[in-house]
Amino acid sequence: MTGLPIATATETWRWLRGQLKARPGEVALTLLTGLAAGAASIIAVYALGLLVDDVRDGAGVDAIVPIAVVVVAAAPVAGITTGLSWWLIARLSESILAALRERTLTVALHLPATVLDRTGRGDLLSRVGADVAAIGRAASGVLPQVVSALLLGALSLVAMFGLDWRLGLAGLAAVPSYVLGLRWYLPRSGPQYAAQREAVGARAQQLVESLQGARTVHAYRVSDQHLDALRTTSERARDVERNVFGLFMRFGWRINRSEFLGLAAILTVGFFLVDGGYVTVGETAAAAVLFHRLFNPVALVMFTFDDIQSAGASLARLVGVRQLEQPTPVSRTPSDSSLELRGVSFTYDGTTPVLTDVDLRIEPGERVALVGSTGAGKTTAASLAAGILRPDRGEALVGGVPSHEVPPSAVAVVSQETHVFAGPLIEDLRLARPDGDVAAALATVGALEWASALPSGLDTVVGEGGHPLTAAQAQQLALARLVLLDPAVAVLDEATAEAGSSGARRLEEAALAATRGRTTLVVAHRLTQAAAADRVLVLEHGQVVESGTHDDLVAAGGRYADLWSAWQSR
Amino acid sequence: MLRRAVTRNARRLTVGTTLVSGHQACEALVPIMIGVLVDQAVATGNLARLALGVAALALLFFLLNTVYRLGARRLVDAITEEAHRLRLEVAAKVLDPRGARTGLSAGEVLSVSTSDADRTSYLLDYVPRFAGSLVAVIVSAVSLFLISVPLALAVLVATPLLLGGLQLIGPRITRRVADQQEQAGRATALATDLVTGLRPIRGIGAQDAAARRYHEVSRRSLDATLSAARVQGVYRAVSTTVSALLAGGVAILAGWFALTGRISVGQFITVIGLAQFLIEPLGALAGLPGSVADAKASAARINRVLTAEPARPHGDTTGVAPDARLELNGVRAGALEGLDLHLAPGELVGVVCSPAEADALIRLLAVDTVAESGTVTLGGTALADLADPSRHVLVEPHHADLFTGTLRSNVAIGGESPANLKAALKASAADEVVTAHPDGLDGAVTERGTGLSGGQRQRIALARALFAAPPVLVLHDPTTAVDAVTEHTVAHGVRELRHAPGSRSATLVLTGSPALLAQADRVVMLRDGAVSASGAHAELTASNEAYRAVVLR
Repeated sequence: MTGLPIATATETWRWLRGQLKARPGEVALTLLTGLAAGAASIIAVYALGLLVDDVRDGAGVDAIVPIAVVVVAAAPVAGITTGLSWWLIARLSESILAALRERTLTVALHLPATVLDRTGRGDLLSRVGADVAAIGRAASGVLPQVVSALLLGALSLVAMFGLDWRLGLAGLAAVPSYVLGLRWYLPRSGPQYAAQREAVGARAQQLVESLQGARTVHAYRVSDQHLDALRTTSERARDVERNVFGLFMRFGWRINRSEFLGLAAILTVGFFLVDGGYVTVGETAAAAVLFHRLFNPVALVMFTFDDIQSAGASLARLVGVRQLEQPTPVSRTPSDSSLELRGVSFTYDGTTPVLTDVDLRIEPGERVALVGSTGAGKTTAASLAAGILRPDRGEALVGGVPSHEVPPSAVAVVSQETHVFAGPLIEDLRLARPDGDVAAALATVGALEWASALPSGLDTVVGEGGHPLTAAQAQQLALARLVLLDPAVAVLDEATAEAGSSGARRLEEAALAATRGRTTLVVAHRLTQAAAADRVLVLEHGQVVESGTHDDLVAAGGRYADLWSAWQSR
Repeated sequence: MLRRAVTRNARRLTVGTTLVSGHQACEALVPIMIGVLVDQAVATGNLARLALGVAALALLFFLLNTVYRLGARRLVDAITEEAHRLRLEVAAKVLDPRGARTGLSAGEVLSVSTSDADRTSYLLDYVPRFAGSLVAVIVSAVSLFLISVPLALAVLVATPLLLGGLQLIGPRITRRVADQQEQAGRATALATDLVTGLRPIRGIGAQDAAARRYHEVSRRSLDATLSAARVQGVYRAVSTTVSALLAGGVAILAGWFALTGRISVGQFITVIGLAQFLIEPLGALAGLPGSVADAKASAARINRVLTAEPARPHGDTTGVAPDARLELNGVRAGALEGLDLHLAPGELVGVVCSPAEADALIRLLAVDTVAESGTVTLGGTALADLADPSRHVLVEPHHADLFTGTLRSNVAIGGESPANLKAALKASAADEVVTAHPDGLDGAVTERGTGLSGGQRQRIALARALFAAPPVLVLHDPTTAVDAVTEHTVAHGVRELRHAPGSRSATLVLTGSPALLAQADRVVMLRDGAVSASGAHAELTASNEAYRAVVLR
């Protein structure tokens, strides 16, 4: 299984630059506000440095007045610009993220079935879910802090250079030490954090399994084995966490070292500059205090570098999905509602044939059932007919037009995989058609009664975290969506066994009602579905071995007759 | 719970707290050192003093980092150990053979064993944090008092007042921001939901409609995030202004004292640094009550699990005759309204009932509940009085829980010798699952068996139940996910394995499958919580209209 593409660092940067360039006004305003916030907080310290000199020069008490005015006036300016820049940074990054996640999901929704089958759905799910959330957290949490800390750091250095270029250089002396610390830390932290995620994940998995499976654990009296396994994974997670912290502390030492180097350099250089009469004692003090004030913001940048880095990795994964953007498919109107497979062969892995040279034609309005044992290729044949898969050889046609080129509303597939979309029930159905008669569609499939009886009727929130629906009800909703879409061709591949015998019979009736008058291909999981069809095709090992009406095939005494007698005997 | 966390980590906690407090004291000394260095070395031009000062600064940083490392290491050891212990205690309670009546869902128990265990252990972080902040404040305060008493009073009164004011609105803002962030989280939830339902969406060609829906929610999320950022921005504006005014005000006051000669230049610089430095430990102190309240709430949830009543009473009867009868007499429980049901050794009995009746019956036989009235007995002993009921009556639930491992470890779950493994696999048609896997019985089973299809999971779970070979086996809809031919194989397999002539094993199958029912010695049909008909499958099919309607295809 190969994963979805991940953008390279260059591609990610190019994309990010493009986004920023598209919003020049916002970017400039954000930067200016951040600089203003930094300047306002620096000017107060600078003013106090002047006061130090006034004190040393034995100035009068009046000297405090201008300083006090500057310090007091700078406070609200610093406050307002800091708050404003927080908001501007969040707005800029969140708008870009919103556009990105919408684009990503649109691309994801249009990915061809074959791509998704190859990469697995987990990867895509983690990109639209976990990755988007990780970037979101960074964008509204650490990013504003990091940007303002970086701006403050840069401005403080500029201010030190303003006092005296040699003081500036002294402040700059700390930078290589910080960089060295990061370069030591980052290559080590990545694997350590990955190990931590893995250990914590393994622990969570063990907990989920044991706790959710508690009934089985009790029934088979294996509590001790499960507790032992849990102890092992939890101990491992504990030890990995301790290792991570050990690394963190060694990194902390490197940060403290940088702080000392910078401070000692400023004081020493200041000493000689004061000695030589180049700067005043107050200016040296101001430089030292400015630098001391940077301790916390810079340490924060250092410690959140991991978050920034992992947000960057998530970004690369999202930008990577964009590379899969599909060209808008050409849409051609079919001439009628016939469905045809012409000499179709198909294989998933390129070696094992699933279908070999399959021919089938369903006339407009006809109902045909596909019968065969598990693995005979029924579902694959249905997916090919519906245009979800494309044949390796041969053609799948709807009204003479290749299946994947017909408009989406011409063919509907109800697959074995049911899903109730989280949200109000009515919204689930409106996915098929925003303006359809939902109540009538539910009535057609015999679901109106229970749907109206839900706590808030059709507005009841269903799906993940909502009112639970049974598998049969979920299946009925899928059929109701088909009714709302009202396609000329329907492909049914539903599994009804979970509903029990009587439930399955009701679902069969619902399926019949939902597809009345449509060209219908039914993958028959129950032979009663085949008996109700106009024609039956028996598929064995990827080939059609029998074709005819139910009665003819039963009378012929072939493969179908065997299946039918096994089905009936029970 | 919290007291226990402190006492059982007392040693590490005491040493760690002392060292971390030492670290905070060192941090407070940094601005003081800056003042002293400027005053004594830079201002005097005395090179020896500069060298001495820089050496002292180096020593201070070394000390600061060393005590932190030594202290934090002990604290982290204590925190991770405590969380680990709590997690295991919760799990041991829930997995205890007698169960625990916690009243929590599996998901909630999971969050108790993960995030609540972590949050409770963080108390061991709050204690040193409190001590350290207190020490930092005291060191700063003492230094300020030594410099100037009125200045110290001004700082120590004004700072807590202003910070206290900010703390009053702080939690409210945090809550508001959390609410809005939850709103923002909806976009993520919708995205995962849509991708999970991608096949059905594609089936009705609704990709564009789904993308439009996501776009709307994403925009609403953006609005919520931005309004949260606005609130945070306003809070930051206020708090930055207030702390800048505070630090600035103190500095101006100190400047005035310096201009009037009441304090030296070095002391002035020290005060500027200290006023700035103090904000952090004082803020930490102000924020602590909220954090401790969090830990308390988590500890209460853990306590609730640990002190939960056992779900099953303390049975102590161990001796049950190997061919005891399972008898339910006049049982009322859940949907059951006076059920009489007997299962003799050697019998295979089918039960046709509603989902609610099945649920009640399964819970009774697994001793998850006891009957409101009536009796459930095995060989005359109440099932609940047995020391180890599942050794005698094994219930395999419908939703099979498989575990990470191999096919073999899942079937031979108790770890017993695999002598009868082949027979159990064959009878449950799980041998096909094994042969379909390239590694056979050693084939890996991933988390909760997600790598297997529903039918494969069902057959493995059935094989496991058959392999356990209990005197009484209770199966609930064991063949709903397999095809008709396999269902036949299974029905015959169960019959042959457990009910060969002379066998004393008894099996109760709750099912609507005619294939399974046809193999039963007897079928009991329930209606309204009691037996409405009983007899052989063929008899009932011929004579009972209601039975036909429920069972036949």
